[in-house]
Order: sequence, then C-alpha cells, then structure tokens
Amino acid sequence: MLPPFELSQPTTLPEALSALAAGDGQPYAGGTILVPDLRGGREKCRRFISLAGLEELRFIGHDDEGTTLGACTTIADIAKDPEMAIAAPALAAAADVFAGAMVRSVATIGGNICCGSPSADMVPALLTLGAEVTLSNSEGKRKIPLSAFYADYKKSVLKPGELLTAVSWKPLRQSASHLFFKLARRKGDAITVTGVSVMMAANDGKCSKVRIALGSVAPTVFRASQAEDMLRGRALTAELIEKAAKAAADQCSPIDDSRASAAYRLQTAQALVRRQLTQAWHQASSV
Amino acid sequence: MTEIDTSPHAIVNENLRQVGKNKPRNDAPTKVYGRAVYAGDFHMDGMLYAKVLHSDRACANIRGIDTLAAKALGGVHAVLTSQDLPANNAVMTDLPGQVGGGTKDTKQPILAGDRVRFHGEPIALVAAESYELAQQALELIVVDYEDTEGVFDAFEAQEPDAANVYGDDNIVAAYKIRKGDIDKGFAEADYVLENTFSSQYQEQAFLEPEAAVAWIDEHDILNIRSSTQVVEHFRAVADALGMPHNKVHLQAPYVGGGFGGKEVMTIEVWLALLAMATQRPVKLVQTRENSFISHGPRHPFTFTHKTGISKSGKITAMKITVTSDAGAYAKLSPYILLYATVGATGPYRVDNLWVDSTSAATNNLPTCAYRGFGTMQANTACEAQMEELAKLIGMDSLELRRQNFIKTGDPNTTGQIIRSAVWSDQCATQALDALGERPDNTDTLLYGHGLACYQQSYGRIRWMKDTSESWVGLEVDGTAIVRCSVTDIGAGQMSALAQIAGEVLGIPMSEVTVYFGDGHMNPLGGTSTASRALYMTGKATELAAKNVRNNLLQCMAKHFDVSPGELDLGESKVFVIDDPGRSMSIKDMVKHCASLGVHRHSLEIYRAPPSEGLDPETGQGEVFPDFTYGAHAASVSVDVDTGEVTVIKSVGAHDVGQAINLRAVEGQIEGSALMGQGFALSEELILEKGVLTNGSFSEYLIPTSEDVPDIQSIVLESRSGLGPFGSKGIGEPVFAPVAASIVNAVADAIGTRIHHLPLTPEKVLAAMTAKKAAAEE
Ligand SMILES: Cc1cc2nc3c(=O)[nH]c(=O)nc-3n(C[C@H](O)[C@H](O)[C@H](O)COP(=O)(O)OP(=O)(O)OC[C@H]3O[C@@H](n4cnc5c(N)ncnc54)[C@H](O)[C@@H]3O)c2cc1C
Repeated sequence: MLPPFELSQPTTLPEALSALAAGDGQPYAGGTILVPDLRGGREKCRRFISLAGLEELRFIGHDDEGTTLGACTTIADIAKDPEMAIAAPALAAAADVFAGAMVRSVATIGGNICCGSPSADMVPALLTLGAEVTLSNSEGKRKIPLSAFYADYKKSVLKPGELLTAVSWKPLRQSASHLFFKLARRKGDAITVTGVSVMMAANDGKCSKVRIALGSVAPTVFRASQAEDMLRGRALTAELIEKAAKAAADQCSPIDDSRASAAYRLQTAQALVRRQLTQAWHQASSV
Repeated sequence: MTEIDTSPHAIVNENLRQVGKNKPRNDAPTKVYGRAVYAGDFHMDGMLYAKVLHSDRACANIRGIDTLAAKALGGVHAVLTSQDLPANNAVMTDLPGQVGGGTKDTKQPILAGDRVRFHGEPIALVAAESYELAQQALELIVVDYEDTEGVFDAFEAQEPDAANVYGDDNIVAAYKIRKGDIDKGFAEADYVLENTFSSQYQEQAFLEPEAAVAWIDEHDILNIRSSTQVVEHFRAVADALGMPHNKVHLQAPYVGGGFGGKEVMTIEVWLALLAMATQRPVKLVQTRENSFISHGPRHPFTFTHKTGISKSGKITAMKITVTSDAGAYAKLSPYILLYATVGATGPYRVDNLWVDSTSAATNNLPTCAYRGFGTMQANTACEAQMEELAKLIGMDSLELRRQNFIKTGDPNTTGQIIRSAVWSDQCATQALDALGERPDNTDTLLYGHGLACYQQSYGRIRWMKDTSESWVGLEVDGTAIVRCSVTDIGAGQMSALAQIAGEVLGIPMSEVTVYFGDGHMNPLGGTSTASRALYMTGKATELAAKNVRNNLLQCMAKHFDVSPGELDLGESKVFVIDDPGRSMSIKDMVKHCASLGVHRHSLEIYRAPPSEGLDPETGQGEVFPDFTYGAHAASVSVDVDTGEVTVIKSVGAHDVGQAINLRAVEGQIEGSALMGQGFALSEELILEKGVLTNGSFSEYLIPTSEDVPDIQSIVLESRSGLGPFGSKGIGEPVFAPVAASIVNAVADAIGTRIHHLPLTPEKVLAAMTAKKAAAEE
C-alpha cells in the first residue's frame, strides 16, 4: 500500500531551493521511481518537495553552444523534440525506447540522472555526449561533468540541499555517429539488461573522437575508457574493434539478478560494443 | 423440455441478419465512457475495509497467532483466524456450479490452522474502518512460525521420502490411456524420436484484481457482489458458513478479466465471514502483490514424448508421460491434468497410444485454471515434437501434420468419435500463407516462421452434466429482455446473448436488454469457464427465443392466414416470406399477440451431452461435448548478439463454427496472440523454495503495447458446432496454438530448439552459442 506522505508544492526555483536547504524533504519530480519505492517499502522518506510547479526547469534549449535541458524536462518532451535527432541522436533513441508511453510522459531527465540507477537509460547517451550537470542550492550553483557525478551504486556527489537543475552538452560534430542500444526482456516498460551508447567522429580515415558508455553492467553507468583509448587516433579494423569490445567487457562488473545472469550481461556487453563500434565507424568514416 | 441433441448439427446456411457480423457490443459504450461499474467501485454506508494476512513462507507449522494488539487497535472491528471459523474450516475448491456430481473432494482450509503449506496461504482476516487501519492491524498480528521441510519439485514430491503435502503420497491425480498396441506401433516405425518439453508458471494478470463487497440485508440474506467468473459459488459460500443456499446471494457485475483465475472462489468467503462477524458491509480489493499469491497460476508441466513414425510421415505410436505441479492444494489440478492427458496428442489421430499422467503436490503456489486448462501446455509440447519429427524425416512440417490430422468421424485419444467439422488443414494453410515470404537473414537478425495447430475442447467435462438456463421475453413495445446469470468477464458474454435473441426475434441487438451476472434474480446460466459460456448460455437463449418466436408466429399465422413456416421475423417486422409487403411491425405484433393472451416469455434449459466417465484402465470414454480446431502462425526475428526475439507477425486462423460477433472473435484472437507471446517469451513466475520472488508487474513481464506485433485474424465458419447457430467455443481454443507457433518460429530461425519455456533472450543466446560450438567441433 502507498503510505501517507507530505508533498510541498513550491512554484519557483528559489522557493524550492530554500525548502531543500531547510531540510523540508527530498525532491519529487515525476515520481516514477519514488511512488513504486514508497509502495514497495523501499523508500523511507515521507516528506517531499514537488518540482512539478517549476516551469523554469522544464525546457529544451538548442543554440550554437550546444543543448541544455531543464531537469524537469520529461522523457516524452525529449522524444518529441524535432531537433533532438540531430543534437543527440542516441538520446532521442533512448527516449523512444524508454519505459512506455505513460511513464515517458511524466518521468523526468533529472530524476533519471539523480536516481543513480545503473539502468537509467538516458545516462549512457548523456555520457557519450560528454554532458555536464548543473547543481544548484540556495547559495548558488556549480557545473560538473556527468562522468564525475556518480560515486557508487545509487550514490552521487549531490550534496544535501542541492538540486540538479540542468544538463547540457556541446554540439556534436556534424559527421559524428551517436548510437544507443537497449537490451531488455521486452520492448515496453522493461528494465535494461545491457545498455550501450557510442559516440564516434572520424578524421582522415582515423577515429578522432570516441566515447563508449555502458549501463546495467556495473554499480553505475560508466565510460569504457580503456576501450576508448585503444581506438582514439587509429583506423579501425574488425580486429581492433573486437579488442576494444573485449576491453570494454573487462571493465564491467555485472551481477546476477532475476533479469539476467552476469555472464549474459558480459557476453552481450561485448557483442553490443562491437556492433555499435562497427556501425559507428562505418557511419563516421563514410562522410 | 428440449431433447438432448448429441448429433452433429446440419449445415444450415441460415440467412443471418446480425449474427456473424461486425457489431459494436452492447457493453462497449458503458466501458468506453467509463460508466461501467466493477466490483471494486461499490460503496455502501457504514462499509468496513478488509485486509488479509497471507503467509510469507511456503511451509511451516504455526505454533500460535497473537491477535491481541490487532484487536485492541481503534477502528478495528474484527480479526479472524482459523479458531473463529465454523468447525469444518473448509471451502470447496472443486469445479464449481455443477449439480450433476462427478466432482472430487478437494476442500481447502479457509484460513491456515496449525500449518501453512504455501507462500500466500491466508492466515487471518481483518475488517476495519479504513484500509490503512486494517493494514496497521495486520502488521500487529504476530504469527509464531516453525519452518518445516518442504518439497518444491513435482518429481521429487513423488519420491517415497519426500515431505508430505497432500494425502499419503502427494499424488493429487493420475490418469492413463492405453489404446491400440504401442509395441507393435513402435515396431512398425522407421524412426523413433524422444524429447522432453517443459513449461513454466504463468500468471493470469487480469486488469482487475480480486474485488468484492459483502453485506447482510434487511431480509437476512448474505449478499456478495464480486469479481468472479462463477455466481454459482453462492452454494460453496453457504456450505462453508453452514447457511442454507437460498440465503446467499452472489452477483457479478462486469468483471475485468478472469482467464480462469476467478473460476475457483477467490475472496468471497473471506468477506462473507467478516460481514457475518461485524454485521457491516465489508469490502476488499486485493493489492496486485497479494493478487499474485492468492489465486492459482498456470501449472508447470513436463511432457516426455516418444514417437514412432514412418518414412512417409505417418505416426505409428506415441508414448507420452505427463507431470504437473499442483502446488499445495488440489484445486482444479485433477481436471487440468485430465485435459492435458486427453490433449496430449494435439489434433492428431494416434491409434497406438500410451499416456501416463500425474499431478503432484508440492509446497509451491497452488496452481489452477488458466485459459487453455492443461490442453494448451500439452499442445505446445506436441507441436514442438511434430516439428522435430518433420526435421528428422526431412519432410515439410505442414505436410507431416496433414498425414496425421484427426478427421471428422475419427476416434480421438479416449475413443470419442469426432462429430463436428475438422478444418485443421484449411486453417493451417491459410495462417501460414498469411505470413508471406520469409525475409533473408542479415548480419544481426535471423528470421523464422512457425506454425502450430491444436484441438481444444469447449464445454465442460461431460460427466458433470452441465446445464444452462436462460429466460427470454418480449415487451409490448417490441423490445426484448434476456435473463441469464452468465458472468460477463470481458469477452462479450452479455452482448452475445442480446445478439442471439435479437437474431431469432427479428430486432436489433441494441433493443435487447440482458440481465446477467446475478445468481438469484436470473436463471442460472452456469460459469464463464471452459469456453462454455457462449456455447451453453447462447444455446439456452437461442432455444428460449425460438420458443417465444414460435408462439408469436403461430398467432400471426392466423392473422395473415398462412402457415407459421411462411412467416419470418426481421428488420423489426413480421412478414410473409413470399410476399414481404404483407407485414406488421414487431411492436404491433407483440401488442396483438398479448391482447390474445399469447405467452411472450420462455424459460429454457440446455443440457450438454452427458457421459459416464472414463474406463480407469484404458482411459477410454467420452470426456468433452466437442472440440474446436485451427492454427496459429508466427514470424519472428532473433538478434544474433543478444538472443532477443521480436514477433513480427502473428496470425490466428480458426474454424469457430459460426461467429456470433465477428469483432468479439477477433478480440479473442488478438488478445490470445499477446497472451501466448508472453507465455512463449517472457512470462514466468519465479519461486525460490516456494516463495514467489517476482510478484509484481515490473518483474513479471507480460507483453506491453510496445510489444504488439502485426496481428491478423482469419475466421472460418463450418457451422458444425454444438453452440447457437452451429458455433463452437473459442475463448480458450484461439489461445491454444499461439505459444507453440512462436516457439517453432524461434527454432526455425536459430536452427535449434529450446525445450524449456519461456524463451528468454538469455536462453536463446545460449542455445545459439551452444549450436555454434557444436558445429565447430
Ligand atoms: C513502469 C516503469 C518503467 C520504467 N522504465 C524505465 C526505462 O525504460 N528506463 C529508465 O531509465 N527508467 C525507467 N523507469 C524508471 C524511471 O521512470 C526513470 O528513472 C525516471 O527518469 C525517473 O524520473 P522521475 O522524474 O519520475 O523521478 P522521481 O521518482 O521523481 O525521483 C527519482 C529520484 O531522483 C531524485 N530527484 C528527482 N529529480 C531531481 C532533481 N532535479 N535533483 C535532485 N534529485 C532529484 C528524487 O528525489 C528521487 O530520489 C521506469 C519506471 C517505471 C515505473
């Protein structure tokens, strides 16, 4: 049963930040994690500060500097944004396969980042964009790379009183390839078993830029930095790609759970990295 | 009185005006606009709210239950344990609604006494001023458990030293079939193939969890308004409480899905006890989590098939062993096992046959009725074996099926002669054709096509002597009323009766009002189970409507000075067939007949063909009234790197006898396409030492709207069934071949077979990896 809880409803960001500073509760965005957790007895907090009234946190801005999303932008907003397929193809792809229509229409990007789940589907694509997050409190704000946001399983560097207010990234190089693949046990409303995103740009027949991020195969979503290092500056061959995929799998530390075994996660992580690198190289090097 | 008709119906080619057409169902507007009232929507003044304490473990002795603190909580009106119950503390969980006998004694404690046998077994009931208070009270109840050793595997349960769950030996039921000479059959075979196939638990996952309100009215009648498939449970409630049957009134409003999960009594008796104890109305809507553990899911089954076959594709012998896991209580396991036994050879004629089947008790969830009722599991195994046989002898699998299809006039597994049409071949051919060309494989995707046929009974086991009653009457304004207690569980049961009565009486179905789902105000129609609702209640309604029609036509024949056979009713008119200008509106006709005192109402009973059971040594005899035949075909793609299966196209082709409402038939085919897809690919309750670990919709994966493939329905009409207008039952039949067709499509795509369902990506990838490794050796 859903236990009773308090929900304050600030209408401006400063109001929300001072409520947070006063320790009036935990942020409540779309509630698509909080409500099931409350019902299932996993969430002990009973006081929440709703972000639903903060229209200033629900926006998508594209300009020459890149793209910025307000924390309360919903996954459906992202899926429907006509420019997202160019600004961040993998993020648009992730939004398309995220949950089901009902959840997409309330779940927020901020909640997805802040829940800290290794299976958060927007995070791999944001990591391969090299995104930064803006963290605000009643005193001010700071910007840090998303890759430095996670400390451990469901743990982040967010301090008490801090709210994630935006996520942003610099424009992708036009010829870059940006991919996401979600492996799950069904097509809708399924928790990801293995998630892979790759960003690649090529120059002069060489891989000039590459980022690889994996979800659901370690305590946090992470960048396969060793694999990236093997590829950067090189002309990619099937052999090299296979080696890099192996290196990416070596960086995984998956667990067995009811959805899949650790061994399956490892096997598919390697296969999907190989597949995405091959596809990305094909796309990036052919323009 | 109506004659019992066991002969095949003539192919009549009646000129039907609305039966068989695409008609909006009478229940559509109220459901679409959200006005339909379900059991959980009722509210009464002074109503209390109930909660149930379910066991959190699978097997333990109960040394004591401390309810003092729960009882002392303000706002709590009753806390009941087994000690507060009538001395017998038991409720019938057998096939409900039968008066003909032939059922077994499968009583189950209403509340656990000194022992719990499964995760979820009810231990205590609470009624309080609110759900929150009731929940708090539950949390104050202290159960002193002593864990005991259990048994969690249907094979281990049959070992002599297994922990005892049921009876002396954990054997809940066993059957055998001995037909022909299997030694001779195997000796004649060119090839012999043996395989074992097994399948998993499946949850009914109805949209509406168990819900009911119970109250005692001013006449001292115990009323229960419940989400049930069976209003005849009033008898079992009365028996459990030691009350006369006529003092318990059970009604079913619209039901938000049952699929068998609301066939055996669910929460009714609990609410009855609480209403009696508190003398207040009491309501319970189960949470989804509790719903998962409070009705029985589909039985896991294991089938071992040994088949002898000739080079030309003729089956010469089959030896099949069948094992099901009944869980902690018998419920309907004996009958489900019987269906699996009779259905073990699928839609094929096998003259040399040996079947041994056993259902064993374990400390797992008690398993129970679920669409397909054992036949579906048996069919899935049989259709896998047929594909493997085809591969073995190098024959096209449809051609192999054609060699072996049972035909009208053939004896089936139990020696019953099939009397209705068998259009397996036409259905299979059309379903497969509808898939079109198989795309070429790519670097990442393998494509496969799969087919499955089936034979599934409709109507209940014949020695239960099933009957159905219905009342049809015409009002003087020309509108009609049908009274029949049939429960409307979402498949259009109510609307079909309107359509049938409207067809016979010559008025549109929208002018027929059906009173349904009420076991005391309406004649008893029987259960909405066993694909019998349309067959039985439709037949009773057709007969009653025909009586009314005959009465009126006799009167009108005098008026028009013709014989009754020269008249017809249609387009809201009575008219002379050869001279349609001579007519009268139905309204005027009814007025005219009423003024002459003509009987405008009729109560009819339809009796299913009875039989006297099976020979226990040979398993020969007549079990079911009739069978439905058809096929399902599926095309899939399999991702070579992940093992993910995508169903691309899913085609059901079925001889439904006669569609009553074509749209409703399509609805059944489409729904079954997804339910079967879930069974084939993703649905599985996972138990660890009897404890359910994935009882939620985030972990138990039914297909979602995003998983829906391109579904096509092909409806054939032989008009050879026992139902109204020659219809056959279709609710379960259309589901029976779906999973098998998907499983066969996956085997086709990856070139190897997985013998245990569901086909999760992980299992599919492992099978592909193993195949590759074997090829490299
Ligand atoms: C049926 C279903 C399907 C799902 N499918 C998917 C899926 O396919 N992929 C996927 O990734 N997830 C899925 N989810 C999980 C969830 O929907 C997403 O993670 C979603 O993005 C969470 O966002 P929310 O706004 O609902 O978060 P909430 O539940 O409101 O919050 C989640 C957590 O983040 C904190 N938080 C929220 N916003 C902020 C902020 N701005 N600053 C600081 N902290 C904040 C909250 O305090 C809370 O601890 C699914 C959930 C359900 C119920």
